[in-house]
This record gives sequence, structure tokens and C-alpha cells, in this order.
Amino acid sequence: MSTNQVEVHGLSKSFFDQARGEVNAVREVDFECRSGEIFGLLGANGAGKTTTLRMISTVLQPSSGTARVLGHDVVREPVEVRRNLGFYSASTALYPRLTARETLTLFARVNKYPAERTRDRVEEMIERFGLGEYAGARIEKLSTGMKQKVSIARTVVHDPPVLIFDEPTVGLDVLNALDLQKGIQELRDEGKTILFSTHIMSEAERLCDRIAIIDKGRIRACDGLEGLRAATSQHYLEDIFVHYVTADDTTG
Amino acid sequence: MDWTTIRLLYLSELRSALRERSVLINGILIPLLMYPLMMWVMFSAILFVTARTESFASRVEIAGLPAEHRGLLERLEEEGRVEVTEVDAPAAGTAAAYRAGIEERLRASELDAALIFEATADGPPGNAAVSLLSDGSSDQSQTARGRLERALSAERSDWLDRIAEQHGLEGGEWQVFDVESDNLATGVEMGQFLMGMMIPLFFVIMIANGCLYPAIDSTAGERERNTWETTSTLATRRIHIVAAKYLYVATMGTVAGALNAAAMVVSFRSFLGPLLARLGDGDGSGFAFELPLRSLPVLLLTAVLLGALIGAAMMILAAFARTFKEGQSMVTPLYLLVIFPVVVLNDPSLEFTPPLAAIPVVNVVLLLRQAIAGNLLWLQLGITLLSNAAAIVGCLWLASRVLRVEEVATGSFEGNLFQFLRRQLRPAGGKA
Repeated sequence: MSTNQVEVHGLSKSFFDQARGEVNAVREVDFECRSGEIFGLLGANGAGKTTTLRMISTVLQPSSGTARVLGHDVVREPVEVRRNLGFYSASTALYPRLTARETLTLFARVNKYPAERTRDRVEEMIERFGLGEYAGARIEKLSTGMKQKVSIARTVVHDPPVLIFDEPTVGLDVLNALDLQKGIQELRDEGKTILFSTHIMSEAERLCDRIAIIDKGRIRACDGLEGLRAATSQHYLEDIFVHYVTADDTTG
Repeated sequence: MDWTTIRLLYLSELRSALRERSVLINGILIPLLMYPLMMWVMFSAILFVTARTESFASRVEIAGLPAEHRGLLERLEEEGRVEVTEVDAPAAGTAAAYRAGIEERLRASELDAALIFEATADGPPGNAAVSLLSDGSSDQSQTARGRLERALSAERSDWLDRIAEQHGLEGGEWQVFDVESDNLATGVEMGQFLMGMMIPLFFVIMIANGCLYPAIDSTAGERERNTWETTSTLATRRIHIVAAKYLYVATMGTVAGALNAAAMVVSFRSFLGPLLARLGDGDGSGFAFELPLRSLPVLLLTAVLLGALIGAAMMILAAFARTFKEGQSMVTPLYLLVIFPVVVLNDPSLEFTPPLAAIPVVNVVLLLRQAIAGNLLWLQLGITLLSNAAAIVGCLWLASRVLRVEEVATGSFEGNLFQFLRRQLRPAGGKA
């Protein structure tokens, strides 16, 4: 049985920019993420992926529409939403002066992981992500790859059922990016629901169970890869993406 | 309020801060070590200069010393380290040339001081007009002048006694009245007066200093390091995050103030006390630097009040900054604004009146000064507490209004507090 862990309906975000005036970053976006799937938001830079994910993670407030995580509304119950969510993005850096162990403990405790089990959970994360040798070192002393691992560990340390990864492989070398993709697949296999954004076609193709193509703040298509292929008569995701984006350009 | 979460975040902020060199230096090391070090350096420098000056042999020329004042030479010999060259009084008509020659030798450091006696026609034998010539820009010449003045004063007093005796006057009869000066202030009171002038001034500066870095680091610093978004995804209300940060900033300010006050008291007792005793020719030795016990709660209370107030005000300003540098330029004017009235109003004659007790920061300085002097003015204390508490509540209210605006919370607002307030006060629809 599959249930919707994340439900997004008519979600919009507009803001005022001094240079551009009123900007509609996200326009009436609708989608659902089912339990245990990797749902991809595929779009070019500036398409509205990050703004959408920030609204779902309660960092930004929607201008209109609704978003729910496990039935909790992002505007009315933001703390409940955050408790059930792990949010990872290139702009969620770690506290440089804390150690990896201190970071994981803080996130587990504040995100209400049971206090009596926190120590064991933190050690489990340290072992799982291979942080043992570096667990006592300050984050600022770690390599980019190690920081990445600590970041993922802090995203999942409170064992949230829903995880959001916003362009997680940006800035990573090939090996670290593959490592990260493998980690995300493992998390899906454990039953986590994963909302994943990227502008890299191969990444979306390899990881996502369903893909939503987003362009200029609107969802242009949303289906599994096979469904998208059938709908567009294109095989490669790159061609499918171009099909939807250019179709929008021609229709205005 | 979820105090468990606030405590976790607060401890995490503190732990993180205490690993940062700038916080340690500005918030702990400078308040703790600056004054003992400064006073130790001053103490050592003054002692060095004094010892060096005292060891100088003064080269002195005395012209036209009357026979009645030969005792002066003995006194100078007793003084020690005075090399006297005695010459006759300049011949008639050459006095001006002689004086010019002395002045030239003084400027060329060939001589340290000179005494020129000019006998006067009237008065008893030995009556003379005396010129003491020295060079005020030279330590050596100043020392020589001091030695000559002391010997000359004693010689003059003895000579007057002798003349009075010749006229049948006993002891101090000829002096008509005797002046006996008595300082009613005890050494402890004098020490408290001096501490009351110095401690509150530096106390405010150090609290502002202690709040400055943490206020910027916990707001603009977070944005610069990209950790603000990480923090805002924590499963707690934003108010808890802000409360933890605020408590951290206020703690750092309070600790800086308290450490500084303690360090200053220790410095006064260990360095300034012995220095005044050594230099003061008796008067200075009367200073005793004891802090009244009843001033300690006031000191702690004022440290907490000021830390809370300055911390809140600084955080509001720094909340608009996106980088540490921006934060510094936004907060520094407040830093100066806090210090300016404190420096200007650091006047010992300024009375701590109820109206002054209503002015935040200034009232704390005056209250502290009174408390160090051992006086507690309860009405002023009450007004001070109320006015500062009101200012803190005002700042926190403003902070909650500011952080409710998403653009400010996410760091996308372009501008400072005043631009924000102007925009908030603008009538609806006037945005474009």
C-alpha cells in the first residue's frame, strides 16, 4: 500500500526584488511523494526547485497553496513538519567549531530523538558513515568529503521518515557524488521517502522513481521515467526535459 | 517555552564561541588581562623613571649666597646627589648677562639648575630676592629644581625662626596663624572614589566589547557560514533559537563586564595602591582599594542588565547583515553610542538624580559609582532597574517584529534597521 508522505497543492511563492520587481518564483505547484520512493524535481537553475523545497521544509512561507508532510501543514505546524523531515542542501552548512559527534548529538536532541537513545544513535551514525576517526575533530578541520558525510548524518540522525536533498551533489567530485547517490538509495531502501532536486539528468535518471519537471516555477510534467518516455516518444531524459521546456516556450 | 531545547542551543553556541579565538580574546582575555597588564606596565615604567631620576646627580650653580644662608649648602649636602658650584654675585651691571649665560647653559644641559641671590637694601641681614632657574622640559633639571626647592624652603623657614627669635618672638608666634590640614576621607573612601570613577567607565566599554563579536557572529556570521538555514530547519520554534542566541550574547557581555570589574579591583589593589603609596609623599599612601560587599550584588545586577540590553540592541542591528563585515559596520555606531555618554558624563560632580536614573546605560554607570562608594540610593536603583528592563523588553519586542519578516530572517532583505522601519511605516501599497 502506498500513501502520500508529502502533499503539495497550488503552492506559490512570490517576492519583491528591488531589481526585478515582483518575482513569481513558484506558481501553483502540485505533486505528491509516496512512501518509500525517491521523487525527483528536475529543473534548470532558477526554475524554482530550491524555493519549492524550502517551502516544504518550512524555511520559507508559501504565498499561497498548501504543503503537508505526514499530514502536518507547513504553515500551521512547522515544528511537527521539521521533526519529521531531514533537509539537506548546499546552503545548509555545518557549524565549523563543533565536532562531528557534537553536531550529531545536537541535531538528534533538538529534533526530539529520545534522549536515552541519542548516544547509541549518534555512535550508529558515526559508524555507518565511516566518521569514527574524525568524530572528535572540529568540522572546520574536515575534508569536503567528510563534511558531506557529516551533513548527511545530521540530516538523518533523528530518523525522520521524509528526507529532502536539494541538489546534494553540487560541488562534489565524481567519487563523492556517486557515494552520496548510493547513500540516498540505501536510505530509500530503508523505507524513507526522499524528495530530491537536481539539474543533472543522469542523476535523476539513475535515482528517481518518479520525476517532476519544473520550469519557470511551474510543474510541466510528473511521472515515472517510462511514463515520461511514453508521453513524449523520447528515450533520453535530456530530450524529454527539452521537450517540455521548449513546448512551454512555444506556447508562451 | 521549550527550555530544554533553548538550553541545548545555548550550550552549543557557548561551546562553539569558546573555541573561537576572537571571542576568547575580546570576551575573556582582554577584560581579564588588559588592566592588570596595563597597570603593571605603568607601574614598572613609573618606578623605572623615578629610580632613574632619583639617581641623577644634580649640577647646580649658586650665585651670591649670603653669609646668613650658608646653612643651605649643608642642607644640599644632606640631600645628596647635588653637585654645587658656588660663585660670587654678578658684578653691578652684569646681572642680565650672567642670567643669560645661565639660561644658555641650562638649555645646553651643561647645568641642571641655578640659584641667584640678589641682596635687597631693606629688611634684616640675609634678606634677598632669589631666582631659581631650571629647564621644565628636562627630567634632570626638574629633579634638581625639586631638590633646591626643598632645601631652600627649609633654609628660609629656619632663617625666619632665627630673625623672630632676635625680635623676642617664640616658636610659631610670628606666623600669626597656623594652617593644619586634615583629610577627613579615609584611605578606603579615597580608594572607592577613584574606583568609582574608573570601574563603571571601563565596565560599560567591556560589556559592549563582550557583546559585539557574539552578536555579529550569531546572526551575520551564521549567514556568512551558510549555517543559518541549517539552524532554521531544527525542529523547534524560531523564538527558541533566537532566545538561545540572545542568552548567549547577553552571557558573553555579562561575563566580560564582571571579569573586567574583578580584574580592575585586583589591579587597583596590586598595582595602583603600591604605586600611589610610593609616589604620593604621604598622601598617596592613604589609598586603600576595598570594594564594599554591598556593591557586589549591584555590580552583578548591572552586568546582567547591561549585557541583556546591549546584547539585544546589537543583535537587532546585526540581524540585517549578511556578512560579518556588514555586521561590524551596522553594530559599531551603537557601540560608540553606548560609550559616548558614559565618557562624557564621567564627571565626579554629577549627582545621581531620579531623572538621570531613567536614562538606560548612563543610570547603570552612576548607580555603580554610588555602589562602589558604599551608597545605595534605593529610589534611583528602582528607577534604573525599571528603565533598563523597559528598554530590554522594547528591544526584544522589536527583535520579534523584525525576525517575523521572512526577508530579514532569511537574509534577503537589502538594507539596515532604519530602512526596514521606514518600509514598515510606509502606507500599504507604497512598495513599488
